[in-house]
Amino acid sequence: MQAGANRQISNHTVDAEVGKNLLDIAHDNNLELEGACGGELACATCHLVFEQDIYDSLPEKEPEEDDMLDLAMELTDTSRLGCQICVTKDMDGMTVRIPDDGY
Amino acid sequence: MSRINLIRRQSNLTKKSYYHSTSISLKPKISVAIVGSGPSACYTAKYLSSTLKQQSKKGLLTGTNIDDLERVDIDIMEKLPIPFGLVRMGVAPDHPEVKNVENDFAQLFAPSDSEKEENIESSIEFFGNVGVGTDVSVEELRSLYDVVVLAYGCESDRKLGIPGEDLEGVYSAREFVSWYNGHPDYVHMGEKFQKVLHDPRNSSVVVVGQGNVALDCARILAKGRDGLNDTDIAKHALEVIGDGVKTTTVLGRRGHVQGAFTIKELRELTKLGDTDFIVEMSELEAGNTEATQAELDGKGARPKIRIDKLLRDAAEKSGSASSKKEKQVKLRFLLNPTEFLAKNSDHTRLGQVRCERTKLEGEPGHQRAVGTGGFEDITADMALVSIGYKGVPLPGMDESNFDFKRGVVKNTHGKVHGVENTFVSGWLKRGPSGIIGTNIVDAKDTVSSIIKDLQNVPEDEIEGRYGLQTLLAKKKVQYVDWDGFLKIDKEEKSKTRLRTDSQPREKFTNIDDMLKCL
Repeated sequence: MQAGANRQISNHTVDAEVGKNLLDIAHDNNLELEGACGGELACATCHLVFEQDIYDSLPEKEPEEDDMLDLAMELTDTSRLGCQICVTKDMDGMTVRIPDDGY
Repeated sequence: MSRINLIRRQSNLTKKSYYHSTSISLKPKISVAIVGSGPSACYTAKYLSSTLKQQSKKGLLTGTNIDDLERVDIDIMEKLPIPFGLVRMGVAPDHPEVKNVENDFAQLFAPSDSEKEENIESSIEFFGNVGVGTDVSVEELRSLYDVVVLAYGCESDRKLGIPGEDLEGVYSAREFVSWYNGHPDYVHMGEKFQKVLHDPRNSSVVVVGQGNVALDCARILAKGRDGLNDTDIAKHALEVIGDGVKTTTVLGRRGHVQGAFTIKELRELTKLGDTDFIVEMSELEAGNTEATQAELDGKGARPKIRIDKLLRDAAEKSGSASSKKEKQVKLRFLLNPTEFLAKNSDHTRLGQVRCERTKLEGEPGHQRAVGTGGFEDITADMALVSIGYKGVPLPGMDESNFDFKRGVVKNTHGKVHGVENTFVSGWLKRGPSGIIGTNIVDAKDTVSSIIKDLQNVPEDEIEGRYGLQTLLAKKKVQYVDWDGFLKIDKEEKSKTRLRTDSQPREKFTNIDDMLKCL
């Protein structure tokens, strides 16, 4: 299969309740983001990629989150698990990417 | 409220190029049979259903005739009366969070009302207690359904092929795991485990292999009753394991950087309350060849780097260990088992595992374990061989498209070679590796092959679900549907069956007991 060139990009702008985690936000809006373990840090299916400045402002990762990110496909330097990231006011306008060939 | 943008690049599933200029009409109704009900089966059903619905809704397939499609029936066949395969029978009982995926899979069988407004109606039904290859043949399924997907995983295991493998006390990790998870076909193993582990606190076990299954076995053996009482481990397993096994040694031919385990399972071993986790720094160093250093340096090395650090920290800690706990799990490297030796007192029973010390040779990513001529005998009352699962054909299946060496069905992106409208997903397609989530990518790949091929499905009317029900009735096979499974599920969770309030369920370990719930 050919990767890349012909792919379409789908872009969804959603209103996100402050305090809710991004896995739940995705599901509330019927966006295809897997959450196999239901947000218990036992899989890497809700892997998301953040913009650098937002990433820098996020709370520190627990080692257990890093352990799961080790299993994520297409890991980047600004990857986190969506279930661990709760929406804040500062996130207004941010863009989060659901990784390319991932889950 | 914050306004956020979520973007994703669509996968190849929706590329129009797959569908251009065909003039073949699709049938209004497509029937799909999936053999197996584990993660690969469930994710295949999930993505086949959701992709067809989505594509029809968005009109992405205009210019083709998929618009003709009105209904998809997906029937999931399972040999046992209960679904979810290795989520129930493989995932360790002390990993309940991993089993949460069952909640996601359960939604497939009980669609919510909101979904009924889709352009395409999709219905997924469970056919438990139906053995494909015994109750119905793959050929019968192929005549009843438009598409057949093989997703029954790996039902056998790799053997070491060394002397003494038939001694009492040498078993496969698959037998042990299936037994502690209450698989009905493995209940009889309890008697054997009981015999070799009659005094767990004075017993030694060797686990050969360095994947997560090997680490699961070691952790379960070490934890014992105290650590497992609140889990869904089968009652019969707690009775045998008791307060845990004194010494468990997990060993493998190559070094720590080449191990197949993942860091979560290693970290757990460092946190066992009453058990020391012992790693030898000398073995980590011996595996630290130039090629290994290159492996720790390459692209995507992050997981290996973190494992290397975790094990070095553990080795330093075990080197300076002042406290000596009652139990220990040892993780050993560069040891290749060459023979299982009998006890001096009983020549039919395992007493030691003879291992040759090895060293690593070869290029980064392709290092082999080469014997050094030095040997070490490790005491063992029981040995579990955990060097990989292996797929086997179903009874009566055409063996010409089976790759016996790899234990997989020969396929290209999940399309089975040489057979029309037959597909494969999961371990039976790619071999036994990866985590539950790996099956998502794998299933999407197979689903894209199925959709690409839908136009080749013959237009003849087939009987589908109704035909299967008729056939099963004729053969007097009592199948268990989703509602039937829910009754078994409810009974397993009933308070009267549970050891503690927090135990999620006490599994039925006998098929007749399951069927009595109906």
